Amino acid sequence: MSDADLVRRIAPKGDAEAEAELCGRMGPRIRLYGLKHFRNAEAADDLRQQVLLTMIEALRAGKLREAEKVASFVLGTCRMTVLDARRNAQRRERLLSEFGEQTAQLLPPKMPDLDEQRLAGCVQSLNERERTVIILSFYDEQSGAEVGRFLGVSEANVRVIRHRAMQQLRGCMGATV
Amino acid sequence: MSCANPIKVGLLSDYWLGVVTPDEEAHVEEHFLGCADCSAELERVVAVAEGIRKLAAEASLTMIVSPELLRRAAEKGMRIREYAVEPGGSVACTVTPEDDFLIGRLAADLGGASRVDLSICNEHGVELARLTDIPFDAGSGEVIWQQSITYAKAAPNGCMVARLMSVEEPATERLLGEYTFVHTRTMPGPSAW
Repeated sequence: MSDADLVRRIAPKGDAEAEAELCGRMGPRIRLYGLKHFRNAEAADDLRQQVLLTMIEALRAGKLREAEKVASFVLGTCRMTVLDARRNAQRRERLLSEFGEQTAQLLPPKMPDLDEQRLAGCVQSLNERERTVIILSFYDEQSGAEVGRFLGVSEANVRVIRHRAMQQLRGCMGATV
Repeated sequence: MSCANPIKVGLLSDYWLGVVTPDEEAHVEEHFLGCADCSAELERVVAVAEGIRKLAAEASLTMIVSPELLRRAAEKGMRIREYAVEPGGSVACTVTPEDDFLIGRLAADLGGASRVDLSICNEHGVELARLTDIPFDAGSGEVIWQQSITYAKAAPNGCMVARLMSVEEPATERLLGEYTFVHTRTMPGPSAW
């Protein structure tokens, strides 16, 4: 069943099973958005909960006209919620008391466990330039331009090397990540 | 259910790094918020990215690093043990439990070199490992070699010889410099492997 099918089951009268399923799908995605923008697991979990509550509230009220646009709706809600993070404390309390029971039962999604030894082996199997680009980019958060200066290559070239290395690492890690 | 038009790993990792344009960011976010496959892949990319960060912080990789990385690691409060060696030079070295990074600064005239290898040998000159086609900044006059701190902390007394080679065509090598590291163990542990 697609996300849109679930949305259609929720509006207008509510379907607990469909709501739980949609929250289970959207929760980890919203949390990823939160991790990206807050770089903080706790803030990402808060965002996840708040956006899910807003989403369920809107879906029950039939505010989403086109079920296919649920991802756009969630993205818009994520953006607004990040912007309003501080001002929304009161509203969050109200939503929690109104809709909190069922969504609060959903445990924070777990990130996949990483086989660190395997990753170390995979990183060591990259060629020297790829390894240096990966480490400078992810550990040091050096920009493509900085990394390029060190390697004596263009920023675009750094991007190509980084993409190739990440592709290789993902292949090397397989489904174990 | 599988995604008909999956977002490439490179773009997902660029998104996580924050090096995409606002349009690309919107595209990635709108897609993964509605896609089970791509959000799962993004999770894996994030796990790999964070794993890389951790690996680098543990300094257990043997690799070439940039001066900028060392400067920032020092700013983060990392303890960096550095040994600078001239070509033909020898240095007595050790590592303590407090050290986070172990660095050899190998001075060399890199001008004109197109491919440089770092060959790591035992005291008899037998090659044990080789870092092939290493990244280098010819203008800097040095190669910054990070030895695995995990390895060094476990290593007994010993001698290691590093050689920088300019590799010219076809399969011709020119020695740029040889650097001897005489390691004395100052941490408790076995006297030999």
